[in-house]
Amino acid sequence: MTNTSSNSDQIILATGGYDHTIKLWQLNTGVCQRTAQHSDSQVNALAITPDKQLLAAAGHQHIRMYDLLVSNPNPVINYEGVSKNVTGVGFQEDGKWMFTGGEDCRARIWDLRSKNLQCQRIFQVTAPVNCVFLHPNQSELVVGDQSGVIHLWDLRTDHNEQLIPEADASVQSLAIDRQGKMMAAVNNKGHGYVWSLVSDNEQPTRLKPKHKIQAHKRYALACRISPDSKYLVTTSADQSARVWETENFSLVLELKHDSQRWVWDAIFSADSKYLITASSDGVARLWNLENGNIEREYSGHQKAVTALAYCDQLPVVDNFTA
Amino acid sequence: MAVYDNRHWLLSHIQDAFISSDDTGMCEVVMVSDNIVRQIPISENDCYPGIEQKDEDDDMVGLTQSFEIHSDLQFGLHRHRSNTAQRLERMEEEKKKAANVIHVKWVTNPVPLTDEERAELFPRKDMCKIREKEQNMKRVSLLTEMLAKCPAMPQNPYQEYAKFDGNAQVGVTIKKYGIFLTMSPAKKNYPMRVAIISTAKVSDLIGLICWKCSVEHPDIVLKDGVRHYGLYIAEDDGEVDWDFPYLDSRESVSKFGFNYLALVELDPTLNHEESFISLEDAVPLSIESISANAKANQEMEEDMKRIKVNMIAIEAPLYKSYHVFILNKVRAKIEVHLGISDDKVEIEPVVQQRISSKFWGRQRAVTHSMDSVVACDLTDYKSNNRASFRLVYDHKRDGAGSEGTGTFKHHDFEADARMAAEIVQKVNHILEVRQSARRKEYIALSERKSHKRKSFHLGPR
Repeated sequence: MTNTSSNSDQIILATGGYDHTIKLWQLNTGVCQRTAQHSDSQVNALAITPDKQLLAAAGHQHIRMYDLLVSNPNPVINYEGVSKNVTGVGFQEDGKWMFTGGEDCRARIWDLRSKNLQCQRIFQVTAPVNCVFLHPNQSELVVGDQSGVIHLWDLRTDHNEQLIPEADASVQSLAIDRQGKMMAAVNNKGHGYVWSLVSDNEQPTRLKPKHKIQAHKRYALACRISPDSKYLVTTSADQSARVWETENFSLVLELKHDSQRWVWDAIFSADSKYLITASSDGVARLWNLENGNIEREYSGHQKAVTALAYCDQLPVVDNFTA
Repeated sequence: MAVYDNRHWLLSHIQDAFISSDDTGMCEVVMVSDNIVRQIPISENDCYPGIEQKDEDDDMVGLTQSFEIHSDLQFGLHRHRSNTAQRLERMEEEKKKAANVIHVKWVTNPVPLTDEERAELFPRKDMCKIREKEQNMKRVSLLTEMLAKCPAMPQNPYQEYAKFDGNAQVGVTIKKYGIFLTMSPAKKNYPMRVAIISTAKVSDLIGLICWKCSVEHPDIVLKDGVRHYGLYIAEDDGEVDWDFPYLDSRESVSKFGFNYLALVELDPTLNHEESFISLEDAVPLSIESISANAKANQEMEEDMKRIKVNMIAIEAPLYKSYHVFILNKVRAKIEVHLGISDDKVEIEPVVQQRISSKFWGRQRAVTHSMDSVVACDLTDYKSNNRASFRLVYDHKRDGAGSEGTGTFKHHDFEADARMAAEIVQKVNHILEVRQSARRKEYIALSERKSHKRKSFHLGPR
């Protein structure tokens, strides 16, 4: 709990995957700083708490929290009681509550204040939940499920709305930009959809279809919008990550590497100049978005890397979806 | 394994194991004074039928002492704790670990929220303010700053080996070594601790050592690839055991049980043979990029191969000695010189000082007359570019027993694939010319056998 941590400690890159470990990296040297144990389960999603003290890992029937300040290979808190895989996890920006989505067809809100259950809530849908994302207004949760439905759950009123961008295509990942102006989703057909968001302060946010991208030829796995809202990245089983301009949705870069396999996740740096990707070849890569070069590689996982959490200097609220 | 059918030996091994694993030391006091096995009169040997039986290779001479049971001296003078104590400690640790984790089970809110409460607990932030803040925010990244400071960090050639680090793994079997870095005078005498996952190859271990070395000791200048280095067996004080060749880099680390190894920069002049092999191995690949030139080369190469085969046939009767491993019944490898000439095959052990060789039987020097040798075939190709082959000989012709029909016995060898092929070729060339009666008999016998089996294998399999 000291504030004396040096600059490099404020940049956190955590990776997790199928080898049941979570690794923290020194971004500059590519050296693995710490390996934490995530026993009995793969890591589906990772998220850093707003105060940067804990790392949450969503796995099979658990959400485990690891202390980022102390080198302890074991979790410090274990959230349990979910019957299936937890596929997405994230936090409210003040760290009051945590939201998760799971294959038990539920999105949940967990009250993080000790011994307080006030915020505990469940949102039930009819298909396994693949992804959850919190609107920057902190009171609307977007839930994407395997049957292709996107649910907009207003936490304030319990009102919810549904939309189906494409029938029979599982929604794999969702993202809303920081200004709350647009939302992107990708599905298992490799298609990307973009909506512009219209929000009145009192009314629920309305979605207006804006664009459809043939993002990938195969299964899309993740999408994220850069902090400056200028770029959208989509990752796919076609072994590439693609960066799109949000102005006109033209392809800016295709990030590929000979040994790279499925790309499971990607995260922008705080200034949107770099991108970190996670791939099935067990390597996380740092790409320079100016020229598409690989600047660093983070290799140490024995199996596929499927989840990333990254935290730069800015006090950001990260939402992480599987 | 074959050796365990000797009950006499087995008994003595159990006795030794008992003494060495007993923490109290009582067993030693009680048992060590009298060798029970020796005291049992040989006439009452029903229980220990192995006591008289002598192995043909004198394997068992003086073997009542069984294996040497190693005590790890890394922990000073302390004895190892017993298994029970270790397990108890592990359970204790697990318990402690579990106690440090807070378990939060999902509980649904017993009191449903009213609309007011919900609005209060999940307030909507003002998007206009957020937007304004986001738009005016100066976006800086520590990562960019950091990368700008050292933009052209050279790529560490050993980075790819970092993933073999055993310390960074959970739930994977690992092997630990003390590694002496012989290229650095400062680190020569103090081992670097390296843990590696046990499925890795020796070349991966070399890469991992170089990776760790480059991270921990940036002052040591390393060459740019694992091929420049070899791992030699070393003593715990850092003395390199030069009597042995460096570990085969294609082998898995799990095969070697040494605690200390030394990383040695290989002499590039001695490296030639290896690069030669890899060059030739690469030939089939290069054919893919066909050009007239390559074709011509290929033809010439085929010609060269034919000439080479003829040369081998011509040279076959000349004496040549090979350095191979003989595989004895327990599949232990013993290094031998295999001398082959027109009229005989000699097997002569390479002198070894290892204690362990005492137990797995020193290979006696043996000579077989070429007339008694009946077959020589490759039996197995291994993925690591090694091959084993079998030499079949007629036991009777070799002197010993004169009564009864001759029995065919065999030796199994292992060698580099190319060398193995050459030896088999050489022996077969010699045999072709000699055509002994024994060989005809053997071929007839194996043909009969193969007819029975309805397979077309000639020679032993």
